[in-house]
Amino acid sequence: MSSKTESGLQLDADVLVVGGGPAAAWAAIAAQERGAKVVVADKGYLGTSGAYAASTSGHKVLPPVAVLRDPIKFERYALGGFLAQHRWWDRLLDITYERAPRVWEWGGYDIPVYDRKGSYRGLQGSEVMRILRSVLLKKGVRILDQSPALELLADSQGAIAGARGLDRQKNLPWTVHAGATVLASGGVAWLSKALGCNTNTGDLHLAAVEAGAELSGMEFSAHYSPAPKHSCTTKSAFYRYASYLGADFKPLEGLSRDGHRSTSAIARELLKGPVFCRLDKGTEKPETRRMLRILQPNFFAAFDRAHIDPFEQPFEITLLLEGTVRGTGGIRIADDECATTIPGLYAAGDAATRELNCGGFTGGAGPNMTWAIGSANIAGRAAADFARSLGPSAHLRDAKALGGAGLESRRPQESPWDAQAVVQAVQEEVFPYDKNIFRTEATLLASLAKLEELWRIVQGTPDQSTPQKAVRAREAAALVATARWSYFAGLERKETRGMHKRLDHPHLDPNQRHYLAVGGLDRLWTRPVAVPEPVLSDPNKLSLEAA
Amino acid sequence: MIEVISESRCTACGKCAQVCPMNVYDLDAQSKPVIARKADCQTCYLCEAYCHADALYVASEAFESPALSESELEAAGLLGAYRSQIGWGKGDSPIRKLQEYKELAAAGGAPF
Repeated sequence: MSSKTESGLQLDADVLVVGGGPAAAWAAIAAQERGAKVVVADKGYLGTSGAYAASTSGHKVLPPVAVLRDPIKFERYALGGFLAQHRWWDRLLDITYERAPRVWEWGGYDIPVYDRKGSYRGLQGSEVMRILRSVLLKKGVRILDQSPALELLADSQGAIAGARGLDRQKNLPWTVHAGATVLASGGVAWLSKALGCNTNTGDLHLAAVEAGAELSGMEFSAHYSPAPKHSCTTKSAFYRYASYLGADFKPLEGLSRDGHRSTSAIARELLKGPVFCRLDKGTEKPETRRMLRILQPNFFAAFDRAHIDPFEQPFEITLLLEGTVRGTGGIRIADDECATTIPGLYAAGDAATRELNCGGFTGGAGPNMTWAIGSANIAGRAAADFARSLGPSAHLRDAKALGGAGLESRRPQESPWDAQAVVQAVQEEVFPYDKNIFRTEATLLASLAKLEELWRIVQGTPDQSTPQKAVRAREAAALVATARWSYFAGLERKETRGMHKRLDHPHLDPNQRHYLAVGGLDRLWTRPVAVPEPVLSDPNKLSLEAA
Repeated sequence: MIEVISESRCTACGKCAQVCPMNVYDLDAQSKPVIARKADCQTCYLCEAYCHADALYVASEAFESPALSESELEAAGLLGAYRSQIGWGKGDSPIRKLQEYKELAAAGGAPF
């Protein structure tokens, strides 16, 4: 079927960017500045979509000085299982140092003085996204809001030629024919409601694999953050000031060390009973409390609205799954230009694997945003160049839509499957701590068997009776697919590395220091991919030891 | 989740429906927002941040609905609170927040 015969909005572009967070905005800016005509299509609204607008995050802006950058590169290197690459870190830090301050300039702010950690303080994610949106509009970039991309288009050679989707408010299909496509659509958090994460349902991970692309690092998808139990505010930085208390409000020991919380220790306690926190370590001064409020107004909104004073009163916590949004798996990057293995398809931000600078550990509080800005600038520029190399008639290519599960039916005679029930069934496999944090071959196989059955269900007839239901059906299929890739990769990685914990293989195995590419739709596969860098030693630690 | 749209404050500008990343709102024939898909609300407070009339209230309860009344929220200063806290309220600016943060740090407020 040629999508060009379809009704709805038809647009041509050199570069299509899918997504609505900082990576999408930066990729679009980079492509436009490289001379490309750019269209951005986002499920929500570019400005509020994605984890960053709601939750805010720092990023690393450091001049190219080894004594400043080495601590960042080595801080989580071992925690991430030595899968990060310092060569990528250098590139990302160079780009962020050059590009990130432009947001302040565009927003009419004085560029701030760097603090010793090199992370900017002060601008909220909502403010940064407001500025980036206004820059895109000034540059003439067309933004399609409320317009989820549902599937990719490929030309006769299999190169990606754009995407199709639906304006879910106008109930209007859209097609963008593009020379190159950048997927900057966020990670996947399985609709846990972790702060700002519910637009991130892995729809484009599924579309990428349908197009033949590969994922990587999906075993590093078990990231959870604490939240006050009544809320979904997964802002975790201030738990460094927390005392942890049990059901009787007696102190619980071992849940944090040197201010770093242990997710697995908290999860073990939560499996036994309620856990409470009080932010009473070093927060006595009123000035301190006021500073924390200015830094993270979203964190305090959860308390103020429930009439809790978190500095004085114990509050019950939970752990919510943040998946690959603060875990690291995603679409595999195949070269230095953030290209995937499929011509014309690029990936950036949380949609791409973040192993290249975060390894198998979370990149929260800096590394993730550094990846988002760095990878998006690389991908946007490379996509513009790729589109130009195709010549001026690239958008006239015959293009075939590639989407399957959740869009089309293999069993059209059947009545529609219930997307809400499928979502809930996936969540029953990925939310429980004893399935996702504490993994064994037995738990992974049991979950994979259930997910296999769900994958069969979503090949049936999707309910497309309203635009909302049509989008949710595709999201449900994507949640099943991404859960399968996560647990299949988790089954293959027979060791404990980064956030991937195998109770039956509790140690790091030096022979498994590789990435795991994963893909396939009905039949899944994995393949080890070498890390092209030896394990490096922290030069500062060496000099201390030498001294 | 989104709990309250103040009938008296809402100016029917349609901004909340435009910006909601989860497409929770529909606009009725008078362009007034209605909460059409409350269970989809992800409690990100961003509709409140964009509401120039401070007519919206998102409760922090993400998975259930507390009993609330508009007059209580108004009395507690919670209508428009988030917009003000991020520096987007009337008479606020993110620069003022940054300035206040620096002054507090200079006064020895930094916990780290």
